[in-house]
Amino acid sequence: MTWRNPLLIVVSLLASTVTPAAAQDTLKIGFFAPLSGFAAADGASAKHSAEIAVEELNAAGGIKGKRVELVTYDDRHDSKEAVSVANKLVEKDGVVGVVSGSYSMPSRVTAPIFAKAGLPMTVAYAVHPDVTKAGPCIFRNGFLGQVEGWAGAESAVKGQGAKRIAVLTIKNDFGATTGAAFIERAKKLGADITSEQVYPLGEKEFSPYLTKIKEQNVDLIYHTSYYNEGSLISRKARELGITAKLEGTEGIDSPKFLELAGPAAEGVTFTTNLNRDDSRPEVQSFLKKYKAKTGTEADMVGASAYDAVRILAKGIELGGSDARAICATLAGLTNYPGITGRIVKFVKGEVTKPVQIQVIKDGKVRSLATIDNPEVITPPVQ
Amino acid sequence: VTTFLQQLINGITVGSLYALMALGLTMVYGVMRVLHIAHAGVFTLGAYAGLWAFRSSGSFWAALVAAMGAATLFGLAMERWVYWPLLRKPPITTLIASIGVFIALEEIYRIAAGPEPYGFDVRLALPDLRVSGLLVTGPQLLVILITGALLLGLWLLLTHTRIGLAMRAVSQDGEIAMACGMSPRRVIAFTFAVGSALAGAAGMLVGIFYNSVSPTMGSVTAYKGLAIIVLGGLGSIPGTVLGALCVGLVETLVIGLVDFPLPRDAWAFLAMIGVFLARPQGLLGVR
Repeated sequence: MTWRNPLLIVVSLLASTVTPAAAQDTLKIGFFAPLSGFAAADGASAKHSAEIAVEELNAAGGIKGKRVELVTYDDRHDSKEAVSVANKLVEKDGVVGVVSGSYSMPSRVTAPIFAKAGLPMTVAYAVHPDVTKAGPCIFRNGFLGQVEGWAGAESAVKGQGAKRIAVLTIKNDFGATTGAAFIERAKKLGADITSEQVYPLGEKEFSPYLTKIKEQNVDLIYHTSYYNEGSLISRKARELGITAKLEGTEGIDSPKFLELAGPAAEGVTFTTNLNRDDSRPEVQSFLKKYKAKTGTEADMVGASAYDAVRILAKGIELGGSDARAICATLAGLTNYPGITGRIVKFVKGEVTKPVQIQVIKDGKVRSLATIDNPEVITPPVQ
Repeated sequence: VTTFLQQLINGITVGSLYALMALGLTMVYGVMRVLHIAHAGVFTLGAYAGLWAFRSSGSFWAALVAAMGAATLFGLAMERWVYWPLLRKPPITTLIASIGVFIALEEIYRIAAGPEPYGFDVRLALPDLRVSGLLVTGPQLLVILITGALLLGLWLLLTHTRIGLAMRAVSQDGEIAMACGMSPRRVIAFTFAVGSALAGAAGMLVGIFYNSVSPTMGSVTAYKGLAIIVLGGLGSIPGTVLGALCVGLVETLVIGLVDFPLPRDAWAFLAMIGVFLARPQGLLGVR
């Protein structure tokens, strides 16, 4: 054969290097996250961390000798987009399993599609209870809202000795479930809830809420919020001279919270699954790799996405590429060393693992306590 | 009583921010009869420009000048290349163009600066004021003082200068003003410049007050601004200030004093609907 056309050479070379490898020796794992839109910062964190997990798997020789390839899509935190992404993953990409690195809404609308296609799915941090109800092969790495609320109360009342508590909840599924569970458990532990105020997502002006709380003389303010609202609550509370302790949720577990709250972040505690002070080498190694890759500190969203990929990979490694075998393996998984906590087991797809209480000290996220009371951390599913 | 007065102060602060934002809208409507939705994009531009200048110079005043300057230039550009060429078309055309520019601006900010919010942490030289149990925090004081100064400046401009007289004249009746020898074109451009400068200042103040500058920070303000200018009377400047303060106060007092299940953003629109039904010309509008 004589090569006359240089373009032809290039095309043939490309074809010869790419096709054979992709056809046989790769395992495709589907992944979606909100890479644009208001949640893009979380989407980026999830994507970088999932990539770290895949790089590690491949550096160690892949899964059973097969290279792992992450097929990534942007769901734009939009339900229609998420559905079309899910259909693409099922019909076109031929993935062996799927990881949701996204919020509740995209996870909730796509879970039934994957369940119907018989694909195993792991969910990094989406909180809505319906996600895992879509099928028997959906496993959530993050906590249910109830568990987080109960753990928050445990820390506030038992750990931090709060007797009078004001509650500020954000008006969505996450806020309502977590807030209600907090109030239930805090009352049970003997604390007095002085007020519960609900504010809309995206609220910026917290002075009316906090001025009201100020005259209630509370020991602690519990707020379910994301980093935008959480940082405004912290700043405004300190500006108004409120000295009560502030406790939040995993919604504020982000370097952005530290940046936006500034000095007002000092002393704020929150419930989450990532313990920065965990001395296990896999945790410290992830924190370092994330920082090297992105230039910022890792957060729970990223660490959870990393775990979700590794859990699915574990299922494939132990169960093979048959979906049912993967499901059975994951359903029976015990004592799995996730970087967001050692997973005791999954109960109907819901994770059982300790809840971390982290505190901001000298501008760094540190460990305050670990809640492992089984009464609190056992997921409320029958 | 103390709590009530404290909430009053909170409400006035929020109302001041609304007023700065909505004034440009009402002024533009006055001279051009255009609903300038992209005004909220100019507001966000002010915040980004102010933040950029503050980070490179470290000076609050340089940042304020940059915010107002960038907003002014952009406002003039919009007037020249978007609204003026479309002015002879039906009003819906300018409205659609304006919405389009606003959406494009939000996406441009997102691509240029990233989707996540930036902090705007200015160490203020202003102290917290404490008067018999009442607290006016430094940032609140800043917002109230700057708004007050800008409103005073605007009032002087409108009542004590020739261009101010011309602005009021064109706003009341463009054709008669033209017949009297005024050039509506120049008056309109000047109005855009002043309104945009106010929006730029508002954007920067909001960025500092909430320590957050993000691509979508203008979206709530965009539609709430419309409700406020309708409430005050389209085109009426004192009406807009009054409407903004009313909305800020009602939102704050309802949250602060009673537990009411309606979200705060609903009040401005309830008020707008009420005004349409009972007094279509607005609180202080004449027509």
